[in-house]
This record gives sequence, structure tokens and C-alpha cells, in this order.
Amino acid sequence: MQRVHDTDLIRLENITHAYATGASSQAVLYDVSFSVPTGQSCAIVGASGSGKSTLLNLIGLLDEPTSGRVLLAGEDMTNADAESRAIARNRIIGFVFQSFNLLPRLDALDNVALPLLYRGIPQPQARQAALTQLERVGLSNRSHHRPADMSGGQRQRVAIARALVGEPSLLLADEPTGNLDSQTAQDIIGLLLSLNRERGTTLVVVTHDTGIADRMARCIQVRDGRIEEAGHA
Amino acid sequence: MPRRAAITLTSSHGYGPSWLHLVREPVENLRQLGRRAVLALLGIAVGCMAVVALLNIGHNAEREAMNVFKGMGSDLLVANVQIPGSGRSEALPNVATLDTAALRQAIPDITAAAPLILTSSDARLKGHALSTTILGSNADLPGVLDLQLAQGRFLSQFDTHSTHAVLGANVAAAWENAGIHAQPGDRIQIGGYLFQVIGILQPAGQNPLLPAPPDDAILLPLEGMRRIIPSPQITSVLARNPNGATLVQTSPALQQWVEGRMPGYEVNVQIPRLLLEGMAKQSRLFSWLLAGLGSIALLVGGIGVMNVMVMNVAERRREIGVRMALGARPRDIARLFLLEAVVLAATGALAGAAVGLIMAWAFVHYSGWSAFSFSAAALPLGIGSAIATGLFFGLSPAMAAARLTPVQALRDA
Repeated sequence: MQRVHDTDLIRLENITHAYATGASSQAVLYDVSFSVPTGQSCAIVGASGSGKSTLLNLIGLLDEPTSGRVLLAGEDMTNADAESRAIARNRIIGFVFQSFNLLPRLDALDNVALPLLYRGIPQPQARQAALTQLERVGLSNRSHHRPADMSGGQRQRVAIARALVGEPSLLLADEPTGNLDSQTAQDIIGLLLSLNRERGTTLVVVTHDTGIADRMARCIQVRDGRIEEAGHA
Repeated sequence: MPRRAAITLTSSHGYGPSWLHLVREPVENLRQLGRRAVLALLGIAVGCMAVVALLNIGHNAEREAMNVFKGMGSDLLVANVQIPGSGRSEALPNVATLDTAALRQAIPDITAAAPLILTSSDARLKGHALSTTILGSNADLPGVLDLQLAQGRFLSQFDTHSTHAVLGANVAAAWENAGIHAQPGDRIQIGGYLFQVIGILQPAGQNPLLPAPPDDAILLPLEGMRRIIPSPQITSVLARNPNGATLVQTSPALQQWVEGRMPGYEVNVQIPRLLLEGMAKQSRLFSWLLAGLGSIALLVGGIGVMNVMVMNVAERRREIGVRMALGARPRDIARLFLLEAVVLAATGALAGAAVGLIMAWAFVHYSGWSAFSFSAAALPLGIGSAIATGLFFGLSPAMAAARLTPVQALRDA
């Protein structure tokens, strides 16, 4: 196992990804290489269908590239099996989805505690940790509400608490404000950025909203399966 | 900043949900699945109920049948004597006596033998007449049939020419019901003769292989039958061979001997033990047939479980994706759905087993059989096969769920 750049939390090398559509395959990413250093906040922007969500899925170990290498925290995950990938997702990545993806059957507390249960932490401790995270996102008074009983902003904050409960070094957010009104969206982005600032959690946000992209330290533009750095401060 | 965490990034030591959580989660999920879970559960419950009820009913039916035939000695041989064909009866002389001592000598394995002459007649005691069976036999009969006396003594070899009689238990009871107490010393009138009662038998039970149950008969010495019917004829010879190993071999020897003494008659020897074994085998077969019927019901229930689980996996595809993103390994997903199927089947199995037992009990109770006997094999077999069915039919949907990749599962349907 080769560790090249210890300061790079994410490192993609010559990633090409194609989806099989019937007999032929349709490429969505061509020879993409980039790295994100630990603690950086980074936006991935692009038109819909440009391949930016695919890029996030590859970083998040939800998908495997057709060719190229994916390194997370210095470890080559390209050829890891489904089990190792699941464990790596649990230990270093927190996901925030556009449609929140809370489990409707569980209340806020158990939704947040779920990643810790998969990590093998007993339920009482997991719930305690979950309550701490709900307090951090300002929802400790909603811990026994089901997702259906909460507003979109509240649900996304529960989802962020769930992403944070495992103390991940990387937060991946796919259009985290896509289903929220603009005021709530600003609050959510503010929350994500404050986590990035205060705890040094690396933040990668996929968005098509330039207002959000501008608040990140770095912006990567995906266009027709290739990336270019959009130069802003 | 070097990251030490990378070393243990993918180590699976201690990873995965606790068993407590593994069990609690499916229960909670099924509870929320509501009516659909209840329907699948019902299928399994009916299957398990059928297995448990049918096995128990089969078991009790077997016991009941065995009870009826329990009176048949396990070392008894019954030789039935018949007139062959029709029209030749006049040509054959009646045989009213047999030298059973000679039989015991000829076939040493036979320890006791009793010929039977059978007729029916009215018997009158203290003015009350009873239509009953009159059985002529010898002093060996109690030894052959294990008859026990309630009062008095049985006929002995010195009674052959006396007018002595022994009452079967039911005969004495019938007079007792009519208000007449029969006891040794009483005189009963049969045909034109008066007989002195010398003993009363204890109930001996049924034996369908005997031409008449001794309980329902008045027993006379074989030689005395001539007083009641003009030409008595031996219709069967009962013999006892306590040596179980040679029981079957004695049968042709007995047949030959009786044929030799009663030329021209057709003799066939039956062995109650073989009959009993055959019947036990048959009712066991019947039990398994019923259990097989239950298994089919269980199979149908299993398909119900599979249906619910396939629907369950399809509807919760997104949830599977989320769980995978949060760190669920394929095996965690497989376990989740497999345990849901097993919990479903186990709940159904327990409910079905309880109802099955109640049904079997009710069936036995209202059939008027003797007390309900619990079949020990039925519960583990019924519940075990129900859970195995759930496991079997839950396996394929669970594996399908585990094989999904996170992107596939998270993609919008």
C-alpha cells in the first residue's frame, strides 16, 4: 500500500467512468485527476448531467471507477472489496444528500445513531453521541420526532448530525440545499462551513448554485466529463 | 499531519451491529410493516398449525387404534377353522374335542392352547333372561388370554363333565344393571340345563381377532357344549407361544396340527402381533402423510414470506442504499432482511403451533377418544420446519438486497 501525499485526504488519479447502456457504454468522466488536501472546503459545480454527482459517488466509495485510482486518507481504495469500502465509508466519510435520506421508520435520534451501530458501538452510547450531535445542530428538542414530522431544514440538519456522529474526516454533500428555501439553504451551508472551520473537517459540496460555490475555498468545475479549476479565492 | 487512522481504515475487527441490535431492528421493522407482515405471518402460521395439529391428531389416532387392539396378546396365535366352500358341510364330521396336551407335546413352544366352541343362547338368572354368547373352552383359556378372575375360580380340568359356568364381566354387569346380583353359587339356566356359577371374570378388553370377547360371554367346559347345541363344532383354536423368536415359525406347525385333527376343514392361523405391527406401521405412515399435507401448507406460507420480503426489499431499496452509505456491509444488509424473514416465520410458527395444539386437543376431545396425548416430535418439527421455510424463502431476497451496490440502491427508481 503506497502512501504518496499524506496531506491529501482525497486523491483521484486518471479516473475514467462509464455507464453501461445496453451493448455500448456511455462515458461520464474522462481521465480526471485531482486531490483535496485535509481540511479544505471544496465545491464541485457543473450543469446537470456533467458528471459531478458521479465524481462525488467515486470519492464517497459508493461507486467504482471504470479505470484509474481512488485514494482516501492515503489508502488505495480502488480494488477494495464491498466490505472494506463499507467500513471505510463508515469511519472517514459523512454523507449529506439532497433528499436527506433519513429512514422514515426511525426517529431523529436513532437515525443519527445508525452509523455508530454499524461501527459496533452499543446502542446507549450511540444514542448519547447522537444526542450530542443533535444539540450541535440545534435539534435536541426534536430527538424523538420522525422525519415526517419535521421541516426540510430540520431534516437536513438531522442528516448533517448523522453525517457528523462518526467524527468523519470528510463530509460529502450532494446538493445539500437543493430541496430547501434560500434562507434555510444559507443556514445549512453556514453550518457545514463552520464545521469545516472549527473542526478541520474536509468538506466537498456538489452544487449548481454559484452563491454556495463562492463560499467554498476552492471550486472545481465539471464540464462534459472533464474538470477545470474555476479560479476563485 | 499524518493520519494514523488510515492504518485501521478497513479493519473489520469489532465492526458491525451488536446481536441485540440485529434482533431488535427486524422486529421493529416488521411491526411497522403492519398488515402485510400479518398476512405473511398468517401463511406460515397456517402451515405450522397444520403440521402440529395433523401430527398430534395422527399420533392420537395411532394411540387410539393401539388401545383398541391392546387386548390382543403379543404372543397369541389364532387358528380359525372354516368349512371349505359350500355343499360339503354334511360330509364333514363335527369335531367337538381336541387333545391340547398332544398339541403342546407336538409343538413344545406352545405353552397353552384352548379350542373354542361358540353359540348364542338365552341365559336366565333369578327369573331374568339375558341373550348372550356361550363360549365353550378348556382350563387353559385364562392362561392363553390372560383372563383374571374377580370372584370364585375358573373352570378346571375336573369340571369337564360338570354343569359349571364362569361369567364374563359384562354379563355379570348386565344382570347387575337389571338389579340382580350374580355371585358364585348362583344357578343359571341355559337351554334345558341349570349351570352353577363358579367364578366371575374381570374385564379383559377387546380383541377383534377372537370370535367373541370373553367379557360378553358365559364360559362353559368344552365338553358341556353338547348340552346346549346338538352338534358342537370347534371354530377356533387359541394358542400361546411366549417365545417371540419362534412365534412366526409356530404358525404353520399349528395349522398343520389342527388340519391333521380336523381333516377336510380349512384352517388359517393369524398372529395378532404381526397384525398389530402392520397397523402401527400403517398409522405411522398415515401420520407422515398428514405431516406432508401440513408441509405443503407450510410451503405455500413460505412463498407468502418470499413475496413480502421481495416487496420489502424493492420498497426499501433507497433505505438499503442509505444504510450502505452509512457503513452497512453487504452481510449486514443480508442479515437484516434474513432476520426479518426469520422473525416473521418464527412469530407465525409460534402462533401456528399454539393454535395447532388447541385444534388437535379439541379434535381428540370431541372425537371421544381417550385422554389427549402430546406428540413430542410435533412441536420441534412444526416450528423448526416453519423457521427453516422462512429462512429458505427469505434467503434469496436478502441476498438480492446485499448484492446491490450503493449507487444502484441510492439511484432514484
